[in-house]
Amino acid sequence: MKLSARQLCFFLAAVAPAGKLVLMPSQLAALTGNDLLFPVLLQILVQAGLVFCVLLLGRSGRTVYASLADMVGTFAAKALCILFAAFLLFAAFVPLVEQKLLVQSLFYDTLPSYVAFAPFFLFSAYLCTRPLAAMGRVWDILAPVFLVGMLGILLLSVWSADYGALAPVGAAGASGFGRSFAYTQGWFFDAALLLPLVGKFHYRKGLAWKGALCYLLGGMILLAFLATYYGVFADIAVTQLFAFAHMSKYFSGITAMGRIDYLFIFAVAFVMTFYVTMPVHGAVETISEAFGRTKPLSAILSVGFNGVLLALLLIFNFSPSETIAAITERAFWIFPSFAAGVPLLLLLIFAVRHVTERRRHAN
Amino acid sequence: MRIKRFFRSLPMKIWVILAAILILTFFSNDFGLVDIQKTAIILAAGVDRTEGGFALTAQIAVPKGTDRTTGGTSSIEITGEGATVSDCLSQIYAKTGWVPKLVFCDLILLGEETAQTGAFDALDFFLRNEYVPDSCLLAVCEGSAADMLGATSAIDDTSSLALEKLFSDAAKKSGRVMTTTLREFAIGYYGVSESGFMPYVRMQPQKSGTQGGAGGSESGSGGGSGAGGGESQSEVIFSAEQTAVFAQGKMTGILSDEETLAFSMLEGNVYGGTVPADGVTLSVLKNSGSVSVSAEERLQATLEISLQVHLISRASPSSPENIATDEVTGEEEAAAEALLTAAVARLWERCAQADCDLFQLRRTLYRRSPEDYGKWKDTPLSEIETIVRVSVQGLE
Repeated sequence: MKLSARQLCFFLAAVAPAGKLVLMPSQLAALTGNDLLFPVLLQILVQAGLVFCVLLLGRSGRTVYASLADMVGTFAAKALCILFAAFLLFAAFVPLVEQKLLVQSLFYDTLPSYVAFAPFFLFSAYLCTRPLAAMGRVWDILAPVFLVGMLGILLLSVWSADYGALAPVGAAGASGFGRSFAYTQGWFFDAALLLPLVGKFHYRKGLAWKGALCYLLGGMILLAFLATYYGVFADIAVTQLFAFAHMSKYFSGITAMGRIDYLFIFAVAFVMTFYVTMPVHGAVETISEAFGRTKPLSAILSVGFNGVLLALLLIFNFSPSETIAAITERAFWIFPSFAAGVPLLLLLIFAVRHVTERRRHAN
Repeated sequence: MRIKRFFRSLPMKIWVILAAILILTFFSNDFGLVDIQKTAIILAAGVDRTEGGFALTAQIAVPKGTDRTTGGTSSIEITGEGATVSDCLSQIYAKTGWVPKLVFCDLILLGEETAQTGAFDALDFFLRNEYVPDSCLLAVCEGSAADMLGATSAIDDTSSLALEKLFSDAAKKSGRVMTTTLREFAIGYYGVSESGFMPYVRMQPQKSGTQGGAGGSESGSGGGSGAGGGESQSEVIFSAEQTAVFAQGKMTGILSDEETLAFSMLEGNVYGGTVPADGVTLSVLKNSGSVSVSAEERLQATLEISLQVHLISRASPSSPENIATDEVTGEEEAAAEALLTAAVARLWERCAQADCDLFQLRRTLYRRSPEDYGKWKDTPLSEIETIVRVSVQGLE
């Protein structure tokens, strides 16, 4: 069963932004201060363009592996798929570390045992074996949950926000802009998450631009969140690691009613748990496609990938900031290489093939 | 058939079980269970400076019915010393065996000396700690914070709760107290203005017998004897009508009651508060205030207060007609305006003396134009030309 256009749009507009709310805002504040919106705006525009390209690839109805196999042979196609799956697992690590820190910091009053996060991998391993249709249904549910959660957080936060803190524009300069654009690549690889889905959704006319538009809509929600975040915390924004969970607590009604904002925070955190599994799901999907889609293979891959990630998470348990810095600052170039390089390359190959076929038909 | 149906629905069952496990582990917060025998729930923290660093006095909530009270929240104060605030907490843990839990800490009280020598080395720990809410209130107290937290309030058995009553939203709207939180104070300090404020708390002794009159609150501070017969005890009343102002993290001055009221009105906080004017008391129905800065040939600050008031009390007998209308005369409006204008002028002078950019004028300049900010940032407040506009109007 294929994904529907609606489910894809829901993912792009209201699930994808959930992955950028934990550590990225403070990273941006550290790099660009009050200019944090501009690098993100550029990232969103670039990703929206890439989403357009990836969805366009879906017009053929063929999966990425099938298309690659036609072009470069099955062996090379399999190798490329393994490489791409390795990238997705690499990309999964930042959201995983973020999620672990978030759970330990936010949902516990004192530092819990470090294995408290381990059950997440049970959940992830199971989710990764589920068919795409199940994922689509999950997005149908998650999208409204995220929208309600985010709207609630923003509504409670705007009263404490001083949007004047976003001025003056351009204070970070070109170098700050460039560095923050580079160092936030680790959070913007949504187009790459769509690649394993190519050929597995119903392409209807206009889906490519509708998807890009939905991504832009999600991006606007993210920008509104970042503007409010900086408005609330201004010069101490850099110290706020889990801002989405803290910015609404200054609402005056909270003192009288208690932390009602936790309802919205839990809603957004719930959506995040699913988003975190997306790269792993994509890796399982990519390899399964390349090596023959069988149920045992998906299960083995899912357990294996999640096991490896759990082991890595435990190994790097006490150095989360170094791990995130290594991935997002020193290895940031890996993200655009795959997230932008692969879709553009595939689109180029398809375009060349399309032109060649047309010429052949004309002759 | 049944087995087939069971296996068909198995994925959903597993899904539900896994989701339940995930939710329980992630969102349970250990089911919110706090072992009160092993945990020190800190309601307020007082920080004083010592020769070796700091002394942290933690006011810890204890289970009712131990020996201290028959009503309200019971608490004890434990002090730890160390080079840093964290060391102090470690000492409290070592002394008591209770794990300090700061998540319920709603007030950080700084001793006067701590505030004068620099607040941010004391506040550093609280800003870093993920489990300390940065929405907690800050205040400076006269003398030592340990003494103030250890004092027996006539209002509430737990001194921090009595203090927090002074910082309520209603108190803030009265214009008599200006409150700030850790977040707001840190934003002021780390911003270009490097200035901020905190309410300045004093305590006045209040002699009362154990057979208190109206309130009848008993406080068995000091442990041991509980409710002794005719013993009288020294209780205190707290007041926070003055405001400590800070420049570069150090307390550099104290605003008087009138200056605090003027500051509150400039911030537009007052609703229902009162203003004295020539033998009458006016109640504020609407308050708007602003402080703007212009940088042309020289810096000029405009401080504006606009109030809509009605008469609430007169010091001399009035006619029934006057009582019925609550009318404010032109003279009374003018008297209130003159009083507030003088208070605003004194407030400005005090800030200039303290070198405290209380109204964040440098920040306003910076946000408007970094060039202007660069040009004027070193101008002392005393050299800024000020225009004060106060408008007090009675109900039509």
